[in-house]
Amino acid sequence: MSAALAVAWQRLLGVARGGCTAALGRGLRTGPQRLQDLTQAAKQAEDQSATDLSPLILQRNSMRWDGKIYEEIPIAHIKATYNNTHIQVVSFDNRPFARTSCGTEGFQNAKKGTAIAAQTAAMAAAVKARGKGVLHVRVMVKGLGPGRKAAIKGLTMGGLEVISITDNTPVPHNGCRPRKARRM
Amino acid sequence: MANHLRFVGRTVMVQNGNVEAAYSALNRILSHDGLVDVVRRGRYYEKPCRRRQRLAYEACRRVYNAEMGRKIGFLARGARQDPWLGC
Repeated sequence: MSAALAVAWQRLLGVARGGCTAALGRGLRTGPQRLQDLTQAAKQAEDQSATDLSPLILQRNSMRWDGKIYEEIPIAHIKATYNNTHIQVVSFDNRPFARTSCGTEGFQNAKKGTAIAAQTAAMAAAVKARGKGVLHVRVMVKGLGPGRKAAIKGLTMGGLEVISITDNTPVPHNGCRPRKARRM
Repeated sequence: MANHLRFVGRTVMVQNGNVEAAYSALNRILSHDGLVDVVRRGRYYEKPCRRRQRLAYEACRRVYNAEMGRKIGFLARGARQDPWLGC
């Protein structure tokens, strides 16, 4: 892994010395991401030399949505717990656009932990975000709950266009001890 | 990976507005990598004795399924030359 990283870093420096300092000067914020993209590109080139199976993640540096690059598109965080679903639409620099949950949509207690509630909450969030001028959104899902898929569907039904789905479910490397097993 | 490779790992891009296909691709990747089982199992604590029993059970199951698959593949061989040719 470090060898591939070193190769990618040398290539990055070579590109910079070749005159494309604009890529480096774009901002240290996107530096590590470009490095990781190059690392993945190097690994992909080593693995599949002849076949053109490069995933869209490698090509998305050249894709534009309304003239914006991928890193500037607002993010929709969906936290799907077993009892509720929260949706928050945020800009790329963490300015909030809309925040809804099943509880804010009028559902109570057990009904909050359903797919229909998640869908209505997502539709409301999408309408609010649309009102603030958000068109494309990249989705980050956290948790395995009943509203996980329904919330994404609700966002598309509410008028936002989903361009990518990321799973951000927290996986502890054996951190906090969960509660004891239920005996039913 | 909260702040480090933020949109690189566990990410699926949506092609041609087909959100369903992208979500199912993401689910397939996650379950193939074992993440779904890990998250589901981590909801409640699994005591070390139960964990050892489960790992042993899964190992035996894996061996049994592999052997049974081999046996079925052997018995289901189709294109062979006739062993009783001439009788």
